[in-house]
Amino acid sequence: MAIKIMIVDDSPFSRTLIAETLTDGGYEVVGEADSLEMALETYTKVKPDIVTMDIAMPDADGFEISRALLRQDAKAKIILSSSMKDDETELEAKRIGICGYVQKPVEADTLFAIIHKVLSPDTLFQELLARGLDTFKEALSQNITRMAKTNVTFLENTEIEDPYLSKGITAVLGVIGQYSGTMVLDVSFPVAEKIAETILYRPAKNPEEVLAMVSELANIIGGIACSMLNKKEKALGLRVSPPSLFHGNSAELVSPSVKIQKALAETEYGEIFLGIGFKKGSTLWM
Amino acid sequence: MDVTLINPFLAAFTEILPQIGFQQVEKDKVSLVGSTFSYNGVLLNIAMVGSIKGVVLIGMSSAEAKRFASKMMMGMPVNEFDKIAQSAISEMGNMVCANACTQFSKLEINGLDISPPTLMMGQGQVTLPVPQAIVIDFNCDDIAIKVYVGLS
Repeated sequence: MAIKIMIVDDSPFSRTLIAETLTDGGYEVVGEADSLEMALETYTKVKPDIVTMDIAMPDADGFEISRALLRQDAKAKIILSSSMKDDETELEAKRIGICGYVQKPVEADTLFAIIHKVLSPDTLFQELLARGLDTFKEALSQNITRMAKTNVTFLENTEIEDPYLSKGITAVLGVIGQYSGTMVLDVSFPVAEKIAETILYRPAKNPEEVLAMVSELANIIGGIACSMLNKKEKALGLRVSPPSLFHGNSAELVSPSVKIQKALAETEYGEIFLGIGFKKGSTLWM
Repeated sequence: MDVTLINPFLAAFTEILPQIGFQQVEKDKVSLVGSTFSYNGVLLNIAMVGSIKGVVLIGMSSAEAKRFASKMMMGMPVNEFDKIAQSAISEMGNMVCANACTQFSKLEINGLDISPPTLMMGQGQVTLPVPQAIVIDFNCDDIAIKVYVGLS
């Protein structure tokens, strides 16, 4: 069965040109739209495999229409077509969740190649998902053992409740790169206090010192895990943001846009929760 | 107070919220807060990394969060802050912060990317990785929202 494509462009000339190119290439053009409303309506009706999207349009632009389409169907696969080609346009496309980008005038072979890639399984992402949690567990285990002088064993994922109820101190780190993600480290205050005491060779002077230790520990674990992943696959280019720390918590934690893989580390001081999730959504750029 | 860090969020809220069902988006006030402060309700955490980095938090009370989600879902009643409502609020945060990155690029602050949102629901304290954060109080169709900008 032919791959179904919908074209969003305000110029009838451009739409005709893209439609003819696609039809000649064996694709089925199932719908065309020139505005936000029409794009949403047509998308629901024709359920395309791919949407090609112009950026510059008179009312809502391609980014706004893409946002609206992705709100309606988070799995929508959108390829932008525009004469503009710069880093910021690429980043904006990525932040919105657009799958690919082709420069106008659109060359048939380039367009076919990007459609093929967008519809192919994202092996880099699948590898990251397969390896991600284990790498973060390894980074946690190594650093807790080295800094807090205790062995670490992990409990299986299934025993952890969802949504996760904080034990007291939660560090949340953002991960940016080819794919973006989130790392969560959660620990009770008494456990953090004992770890701080071992690292400092004395009891913590105040709660702030304990919090600073958790923040630093999360930063080190996140940074080392991302370096390990980058070393295996350069294209990932993962970097971490400094952590936000939530404490004195009676709070639940959820991450609605990514599936968080969870692990519970057992140490002689008590349990440490580790959560890691990555979001699909790199933009292919041709 | 670095005004450069405020305007992109004002522009992002004003541009994005009307696209998700809000009529009136007003800035109530702008103030500063230290790195540690209390929260009660719903607090969305989004990291921002690039030529500047840090975190943006979007907070509101649980009742306001339900009203906000209901507005985004075209008035559908939201009695519980369930998965759909949680997803709606995080999607709003994602859209606003992604747009703020675009607004920053207009000021030649380029290369910013954002992490997926994490949502804390309950109460406690938060410590940001910056000495001070800017707090922007928004009133969106009579729903009070606080945006904490902890970037440097």
